[in-house]
Amino acid sequence: MDWNCCWTKEQIERGDCPYIREGEEELLVLLPRRIVEKCFYCDRFRDDLRRLSQEELPLARIVPFLMEALRDQKNQISAMAGSLDSRNQEISFLHELAEVLQTTMNLDEVLSVAMTAITAGKGFGMNRAFLLLTEKRQHNLGIGPRNLQEAWQTWDEISHHNYSLTEMASQFFNTKLRSEKAKFHEILTLLEAHLTEEGHLLNRVLGEHKPLLVDEQLRSSVGDNGLTELLDVESYLIMPLVCRNRPVGVILADNYVTHKMITRQDLESLETFGYTVAFAIERASLYDQLQEKVERLVEVNEQLLEQQEQIVRMEKLALVGEITSSIAHSIRNPLMTIGGFARSLLRKSVGDDPIREHLTSLVTAAQQLDDVLTEILTSSDSLYPARDQWDLNLLVYRVSEELAERLSRREITLRLDLAQNLPMAFIDFRQITFCLRTIIINLLDSLSDGSTVTLFTRQSSEGLLLEASAGPIPSGHTATGLGLMVCRNLLEKQSIPFTITTGDQEISFKITVPIERRE
Amino acid sequence: MARVLVIDDEANIRLLYAQELGDDGYEVVTAATVSEALSRLDEQLFDLVILDIKLKSESGLDLLQQIVRERHNLPVILCSAFSCYKDDFSAWLADGYVVKSSNIEELKLEVGKVLGKKAHRG
Repeated sequence: MDWNCCWTKEQIERGDCPYIREGEEELLVLLPRRIVEKCFYCDRFRDDLRRLSQEELPLARIVPFLMEALRDQKNQISAMAGSLDSRNQEISFLHELAEVLQTTMNLDEVLSVAMTAITAGKGFGMNRAFLLLTEKRQHNLGIGPRNLQEAWQTWDEISHHNYSLTEMASQFFNTKLRSEKAKFHEILTLLEAHLTEEGHLLNRVLGEHKPLLVDEQLRSSVGDNGLTELLDVESYLIMPLVCRNRPVGVILADNYVTHKMITRQDLESLETFGYTVAFAIERASLYDQLQEKVERLVEVNEQLLEQQEQIVRMEKLALVGEITSSIAHSIRNPLMTIGGFARSLLRKSVGDDPIREHLTSLVTAAQQLDDVLTEILTSSDSLYPARDQWDLNLLVYRVSEELAERLSRREITLRLDLAQNLPMAFIDFRQITFCLRTIIINLLDSLSDGSTVTLFTRQSSEGLLLEASAGPIPSGHTATGLGLMVCRNLLEKQSIPFTITTGDQEISFKITVPIERRE
Repeated sequence: MARVLVIDDEANIRLLYAQELGDDGYEVVTAATVSEALSRLDEQLFDLVILDIKLKSESGLDLLQQIVRERHNLPVILCSAFSCYKDDFSAWLADGYVVKSSNIEELKLEVGKVLGKKAHRG
């Protein structure tokens, strides 16, 4: 019989079979493969089979059935291979995604990777996506084009460069994170509000831990709380992000530009992705918290060290305090005895008794020693400033009352010019009292009898000003003495400005104390 | 005439207080130790106690607490060579606080003030 097809020939020439394409030349000499791969689809072969069956050969009748079965099997295998290939790509992509997510602990970077993966063509290829977190809402994010032009621009750029997921995510994180957040600010704000609404679709999906494809059918049956209008798309999917049974956030994704239909297959692929992303978000959040705790711990540790040092310092100072207290006790009692009895005898002596002069000297010397002792003790006391809110005018009144007798003995007038309604000063009351007392006593030493001392308080931009001025003073007088040195020292320790100015006839001491608590 | 109990471990100080306060018209009784002070307090009624904080190895602040606990109407003025005890909480129980000085006018003023307050309270 003269056959139309080449199936009977072991070897054929190029052009004998119209189905053999360039690169398939080996089929010219491989008959079995040529029959299975080419002849089964050749019309001339079918004609040959029809003619063969008319010869009533038994095998000729079953060959078409076998051929049909073989073709079906081939199609099935081909479909399975396609599916496997697609799954393989998906697994490779998820593997790459997991690897990329493992390299970062920064939450924004994790979110950038996730959002890039969901929208990248080599990823899940969605046009647009929004990610909302249940906590840390400042990290919420949107990604995608606003229109076709913007979409083409982006896709064109990506196709030219063939970026990997890492590169795309890194580029997004470095250059687009802020602008995309700003671009979708309005939608994100509205979505955020929906996420907190009880019974809202977003909340329901989050609670059920199952992804949802929202399309026309679902919308008409259960509704979607206006999300379709908000997103301006026909269909979209909602992907809950759940880690250890705890809702971490939710992703909404759609094909805003291409309007490509979202399939169940897309949903299933994204489910695995959702677990990976949720875990990475949770890990980054925990790492953030851990960082915060570590920083706090370091801070507390530093404080503890400082406090330990302070305790050691205080212990040393306490020892100094104990010593000075002991000295005070040992000196003050005999001094009090000498001065006290001298005063008593002076008071009881008659006016022309020559011993009065000696007793007066004793009283004065005892008083001087008393003042020096107070200065020394205050100096050691200044190691422990006990600052609090105090009325500065009250302090001035107290010192005035305390020194009234000494001033009146010298016929020195004390004039008070105190501002009313002053805020409280943040000071160590005893130390500032000591300073003012010392300043006035110092003035007493330089002023002639009958002079005037003025105490002045005012509020200034630096705090509260306490000024003591007096005159006339002898020319060439300089403010010296142990007491003033102690004053300067203890005020300096508390960073309180202390200035002494001398004019032709007048001397002025200025202390500016703080109002606010200062560490 | 108000009766004042002066408690101080220094004999000279006790003598000075007795003389000065006596001159001002007070009846002064003195004690050098805590036990002596407690005996005097049991024997007589006083209008005021002047108490030194450091009584050799004993603490005037402990005695102050005992006096306040057992005789809460009896005012106490604390006397100390050092002003730092003003910051001690237990010193706040006292009705007055005077830093020892060669001029005991401040103490006399405080005595007058505290006794005046007591008289006013009845």
